[in-house]
Amino acid sequence: MSVLNSNNAPDASVVKPHFVFGSIALLVLSAMIILADSNLLEAYFNTKILAITHMAVLGWATMIVFGALYQLIPVVFETSLYSEKLAKLTFWIFGFSILFLTYAFWVGSFSGLLIYASLLTFSALFLFVINVILSYRNSKKKNISSKFIITAIIWLAATEFVGTLIALNFKYIFLTETHLFYLKIHATIGLIGWFLLLIIGVGSTLIPMFLVSHQLNEKKLKIAYILINVGLLGLSLNWFLVNYTVIAPLFWLAIAVGVLFFFSFVFEAYNKRIRKKLDIGMKHTLISMLSVFLPIVISLIVMMGFGMEEKFLIRVTTLYGFTVIFGFITTLILGQTYKTLPFVIWLDKYKGLVGKTKTPMPRELYSENIAKGQFYLYLLFIVCMILGFIFNNIVMIRIGSYTLLIVAILYNINVFKIVFHTVKIIKNEE
Amino acid sequence: MKNREEITLFEMEILELLKNVMDPEIEINIVDLGLIYEITYDGDKNINIEMTFSTPACPLGDTIVTNIKETIKQKYADFITNIEIVFDPPWSTDLVSEEGKKILGM
Repeated sequence: MSVLNSNNAPDASVVKPHFVFGSIALLVLSAMIILADSNLLEAYFNTKILAITHMAVLGWATMIVFGALYQLIPVVFETSLYSEKLAKLTFWIFGFSILFLTYAFWVGSFSGLLIYASLLTFSALFLFVINVILSYRNSKKKNISSKFIITAIIWLAATEFVGTLIALNFKYIFLTETHLFYLKIHATIGLIGWFLLLIIGVGSTLIPMFLVSHQLNEKKLKIAYILINVGLLGLSLNWFLVNYTVIAPLFWLAIAVGVLFFFSFVFEAYNKRIRKKLDIGMKHTLISMLSVFLPIVISLIVMMGFGMEEKFLIRVTTLYGFTVIFGFITTLILGQTYKTLPFVIWLDKYKGLVGKTKTPMPRELYSENIAKGQFYLYLLFIVCMILGFIFNNIVMIRIGSYTLLIVAILYNINVFKIVFHTVKIIKNEE
Repeated sequence: MKNREEITLFEMEILELLKNVMDPEIEINIVDLGLIYEITYDGDKNINIEMTFSTPACPLGDTIVTNIKETIKQKYADFITNIEIVFDPPWSTDLVSEEGKKILGM
């Protein structure tokens, strides 16, 4: 019999804390947005937006992504995680560093706390990168999905390196350009290099698996891989070396076309799916895939300017970050939580009981009605925030902020319901 | 030792029994999903099953295998079930039964 991948799955105790931390971080994040709602319409380089962004990308998104990746590495790499102990240690350092870093931004302690917080974050991310790279070295399967993931990990290291340089520069001034210049690079390689490549790598395995689609054209993924990486590398080198504004749009175009190739792959999987009815997890996922067009259009507007007033362009730039973090990444995570977490817990609780007695399905570990409510409210949140940014309307931002708080509460109820699920045995029918 | 007809009937009974084993993600039984390629019974105590998964990287692979063994054990405690996983030919949607297509909305 062939070696089966679930034998390589890590212990649930490695994965669970990441989801618990991430879901609480979403709750904290929504509270932070409520407290700082008026700051959202100001210039994006302000302490509150920086704190909110880091809570969103690290505390919420990256934390959950780490947990999910520990579970998915055996599936995508066909090998076990290099070290579960290292993963647990990374969780504690990373968790503490996120709270520390967000607090440092929130209170604006740039030349004090921020330096220590960013060094601690750097250490945690470095440990994660090492764990994944060593797992990849043992991997039997080096396909396009695993290449996306490992490249994303390298971009994560680069993102963190630039971020730490910015933090250190607040005290030991040594960088030649302004902070905004490096912030642009830090944000771009973080959002595209880390999140986008990772999502494509994981999505190209999971989306066809969950939709039950076969015989897909993998060439699209290979083209996407080349275009996005060439575009991102070109952008970064251009910024660091020559900074020609004329060629930057060409690199953006390469990235945008690469994203379209991935979208075409997902669309093909959707069309060829045998499972016609979409569950709540896949509805989130497909909305996330559709929303990928928003940042593409917005980045075009920001780049071209079209003679629009500067204040509007600043808000649109914040909107660009918002559509990537909340439109694309968060929507996907909210949905994929319902596809991965119930399985982690179900395998942990029922693996030894299957066949011996009737067990509930993983889907039955959470409330579908709560998940549906969360889905529609989340769409409302996205619409309100987009309108708020475009029309400089604080009321819409406020409605959106409170809606996100309700979404976060509903999401937390379901996550805790899954994580603290107690074994239910359904008696066999005679 | 059973005769050929009895063996065939027993193999069909096992196939029917395996309709109780669900793929927890797709929520359809593994027989209608077309995962079972062949069941052979030696007429004594050995049941051999050749099967596949909907994807080679199926994270639920060994759970499904355990489920099959336990389901058979519940009814035939002293029988030995040998399961071989193959990916040639690979699983495809053509293998889904008419009943399975109805469940999946195909």
